[in-house]
Amino acid sequence: MATTLTAKDFATTTPSWWCPGCGDFGVIASLKQAAADMGLEPKNTAFISGIGCSGKISGYFHSYAFHGVHGRALPVATAVKLANKDLTVIAAGGDGDGYAIGAGHFMHAVRRNPDVTYIVMDNQTYGLTKGQSSPTSALGYVTGTSPAGNPDAPINGLAVALAAGGTFIARGFSSEPKAMTELIKAAIAHPGFAIVEIMSPCVTFNKVNTYKWFKENVYHVTDIPDYDPRDRAKAFDVLTQAGKIPLGIIYTEIRPTLEALTIKDAPAIAGLDIETADARYAGIQEAYR
Amino acid sequence: MIVNDIEVMFGGQAGDGSLTTGDLIAGVFKHMGLEVYTYKDFPSRIRGGHTNYVIRAGTTPNLGMADFVDCLVAFDLEAVEVHIDEMRPGGFVIFDSSQEKLTDAVRRPDVFFYEVPLAKIAKDEIGLELVRNTVSLGVLGRLVGMDREIVLRDVTSVYKRKGEKIIDLNIRAIEAGAKYVDDHFDHPSGYELTTGVDRDRLIMMGNDAIAYGALVAGCRFMAGYPITPATDVLEWMAKYAPKYGGVVIQAEDELAAINMVIGAGFAGVRAMTSTSGPGQALMTEAIGLAGVLEIPIVVIECARAGPSTGMPTKTEQSNLNHLIFSGHGEIPRVVIAPGTVEESFYLTVTAFNIAEKYQVPVFVLSEQALCQSKATLPSLDVAAVTVDRGKLERNGHLKFGEYRRFAFTEDGVSPRAVPGTEGGMYLAPGSEHNDRGVITENAGNREKMMEKRMRKLESMRPDLPKANVLGDTTAEIAIIGYGSNRGPIVEAQDRLASDGIPTRFLQMRTLWPFPEEEVRAFIKGASDVFVVENNFTGQLERLIRYVVGPLPHMRSVLKYNGKPFRPIEIMEQIRAVGAARRALEV
Repeated sequence: MATTLTAKDFATTTPSWWCPGCGDFGVIASLKQAAADMGLEPKNTAFISGIGCSGKISGYFHSYAFHGVHGRALPVATAVKLANKDLTVIAAGGDGDGYAIGAGHFMHAVRRNPDVTYIVMDNQTYGLTKGQSSPTSALGYVTGTSPAGNPDAPINGLAVALAAGGTFIARGFSSEPKAMTELIKAAIAHPGFAIVEIMSPCVTFNKVNTYKWFKENVYHVTDIPDYDPRDRAKAFDVLTQAGKIPLGIIYTEIRPTLEALTIKDAPAIAGLDIETADARYAGIQEAYR
Repeated sequence: MIVNDIEVMFGGQAGDGSLTTGDLIAGVFKHMGLEVYTYKDFPSRIRGGHTNYVIRAGTTPNLGMADFVDCLVAFDLEAVEVHIDEMRPGGFVIFDSSQEKLTDAVRRPDVFFYEVPLAKIAKDEIGLELVRNTVSLGVLGRLVGMDREIVLRDVTSVYKRKGEKIIDLNIRAIEAGAKYVDDHFDHPSGYELTTGVDRDRLIMMGNDAIAYGALVAGCRFMAGYPITPATDVLEWMAKYAPKYGGVVIQAEDELAAINMVIGAGFAGVRAMTSTSGPGQALMTEAIGLAGVLEIPIVVIECARAGPSTGMPTKTEQSNLNHLIFSGHGEIPRVVIAPGTVEESFYLTVTAFNIAEKYQVPVFVLSEQALCQSKATLPSLDVAAVTVDRGKLERNGHLKFGEYRRFAFTEDGVSPRAVPGTEGGMYLAPGSEHNDRGVITENAGNREKMMEKRMRKLESMRPDLPKANVLGDTTAEIAIIGYGSNRGPIVEAQDRLASDGIPTRFLQMRTLWPFPEEEVRAFIKGASDVFVVENNFTGQLERLIRYVVGPLPHMRSVLKYNGKPFRPIEIMEQIRAVGAARRALEV
C-alpha cells in the first residue's frame, strides 16, 4: 500500500481565499512538500487550524482537517493526538490565533508536550478583519484600531515557548521554501510539541514588515559559530536580543510526551472496542455497598 | 414514636470532620435496610464557616429532604441558632456542651435538648478531641436505636485504612457516647429505627453515578476544569478511565476542556466534560462548533446557584434556559435531566448513545442537591447497557471523492468517518459547508444544511428518555418538575393523597428537544398545573408556555434560596389552591 506520494497528493481542490503574494502560500507549499518527503498518509494525518487568514490553511491540505473556533486549535490538536496517538497531528494558526485569543492554550500546550507540530504564520497584523494590530505588531504600528500607534509591546512567542518548557523551537521565513520545508520536517519528526513560527508577510495590510524588510532583518542561527540548539541559555539569548530576527532550529530537547506520560504503551484509544462490555464494569459498584 | 423515618443534621464548622461521620451514619442507615438521601450544605471554603450535612432515612425510595429536621447534632451554638426553626416539633438536639452553654433564646419548648460534652468526652476518655464526631454517633445511635453490630462493622471498615489504633479509638468513642446517654438521660428521643434487610443495593453520590455511567457507555476521554459541584466527575474518571485504556486531562480552562472534548470526538472517541454554570458559559461558543461539525459530545452540567460566582456550593435550577438557548446561531442539541442517582447512571449512558447516534452535543443536567447527594439505589444493571455507535464508518469501504461526510439524509444523520479511516478524509469547518465539508455561503446549500442538521431533533424523538408519570394519573391537580425535585414532590404527593388530595406528577427527563406531546397529554383535563423548580423566573414554566401555549391554570412553585425543597413547601401551595377551589365550589 506504500505508494510514494508527492506534494501534489496533499493538495485539495478547494480554491484559495488568500491574496496573491500572501506569505501563507509558501507555508502550504512547504507543508505539502514536507508531508510528501516524510511519507505521511492523508488518512493518518490530522490537520487542525483556528480562525483568521491562517486558519484557512486546513482546507488546502488533504487530510482529516479541522477548522475550529478562534484560538482553540491547540486543545483540539492535543486531544486528537491523545485520542489516536498513531496519527500525525499538525496544528496551524496565525499570530492573533496563537498569541492573542489562544495565548493561554499556547503556553499549556507547550508545557504538556504532546507530539504535535504547531505552525504559527506570523504576519504581524490581523488580515482577515482588514489590518488591525496584532500581538506581534511593532510598538507604534498604526492601524484602524491603533490610529495613534500601537501602544502594546510585541510578544515574543518563541521566548514564551522556551520559558514554558518548549522542546522544539524553530523559525522560518516564507520566502525561503527549502529551509522552511526542512524545519517542518524536523518539527514533525520531533517527538514532542514542536513549534515552527514562520514570518509570513501580509502583502495587503502590513506595509512595514514586507518581504524586503524581512530579507534585510533576518539571519540564520547556523551562521553563529558553534551554535548548539541544545543550549537553553544561548537559545534564550538569541531569541531575546535586539536586532535581527533569528531563523532556524533555535532550541531542541527531548522530554517525555503527554501521550507517553498518560497512555504509555497502551493502544490508541480510538481503536478500543467499547461495544463489548468490560467484565470489570460490574465490580466497580462493590465499593458502594 | 416515629419509626424508621428520620432526618439527622450535623451542624458545625467546615473542616471539623463531620463529613466522614455523616457518610458513616448514611452507611449505617443503609445497612439497616433503610432508604437514604444525603444533602451537603457547605460554605464555599475549606475551613471554618457554618456547615451542615443532612442525612435522611426512611422506608420509601428516592427520598429528598424531609419537612423538618428531626435530630440536630450541634457542635456549636451557632448551629442551634441557625437551624432551631427548622426542627420538627417533638424533635431533639444533641448539643456539644463542652465549651458553650445553651441560651434561653435558642431553646424551644417542643424540642428536647440532650446536652452532652462531646469534645470533653473525646478528650478526657478517648484522649483525642478529634473523635467528638464519633462520640456524637454513639449518642445518636443509642437514642434512635441504631444497630450496634452494624455501627461497629461500619466504623471498622471506614477507618480500616488508618489502622487498628484508629479503629479502636473510634469504637471506644462510640461506646463512650452511648454510655453517657445511659448514665445521664431517661428522656426517650421519640424515634426508633428497626433493622431490616439490605439486599442488593448501593449507596452512591449522583456525580459518581454519572461518571460510572459514562465509563460503562464507553467514554474514554474526559477533559475538565475543576469547578464545584462538578469536580467529582472529573476525579472519578481520572481514577477509573486509565484502567480501561482512557485518558483524563485537567485543562487550563473550560475553553480548552470543551475544545479537547470536541477534538477527541472528531477522532472517534466517546468524550465528555463536566462543569457548572460559569464553565458552561465559557463553553458556549465551542458547543455551537460541535453542533455544526456534527461531532458527538456529552457535557455534564452540575448546576449551582448563579449568576456569576453566585453560591457555588448551593443548589439551583437556573441554568435551563442557558443550556437550551445559549449560543449564537442554531444547532440541534439535547438536554436530559435525571431525577435520582439511579437515573444519573442510566441517563448518562443514554446521553452517549444519543450523542453518537445523532452526532449532536448532549447535556446531562444535574444539580447540587442531586449530584453531590448520596442515595440508596438498586444495584446497577451494567450488563443491560448497550453501546450504539450509530453511523460510524469502520469498514474501510469509503472511496475518497465519493464520500460525503455531511451527506443530506432523511434522518439528518450522515456517515461519520474518523481519522485513520481509508478514503474518509474531509474538512470539518466551523464555517457553513457543503456535504463534502467545503466552505460555502451558497444560499440554497445553507437552507438544505440547516434543515438537515435540525431534522435530527425530530428523528431522535424515539430515543429520547420518556418522562415518568407518577401518582394518580386521573387526578385533577397536575405537578410538573425535574431533577432533584422528584424526591420532595413524590413525598408531597403521598401525603396530599392521604389528606384526600390526589395529584399526578410529570417528572420530565428530556427537556430539549421539548417533549411537547408528552406535556400536552399529561396536562389534558387538569384543573391546576403546578410547575415546581428552583429558580426565580420559573424557567420551566415559561418554557412550557413558550411551546405549549398559554395555560391560565398553570402556576409556578419556586424556591431560590440555595436549598432544595422540603415536601411541606410544595404541599402548602397545592393545598392552598385546593382549598380555594373547594371554597368556590361551596
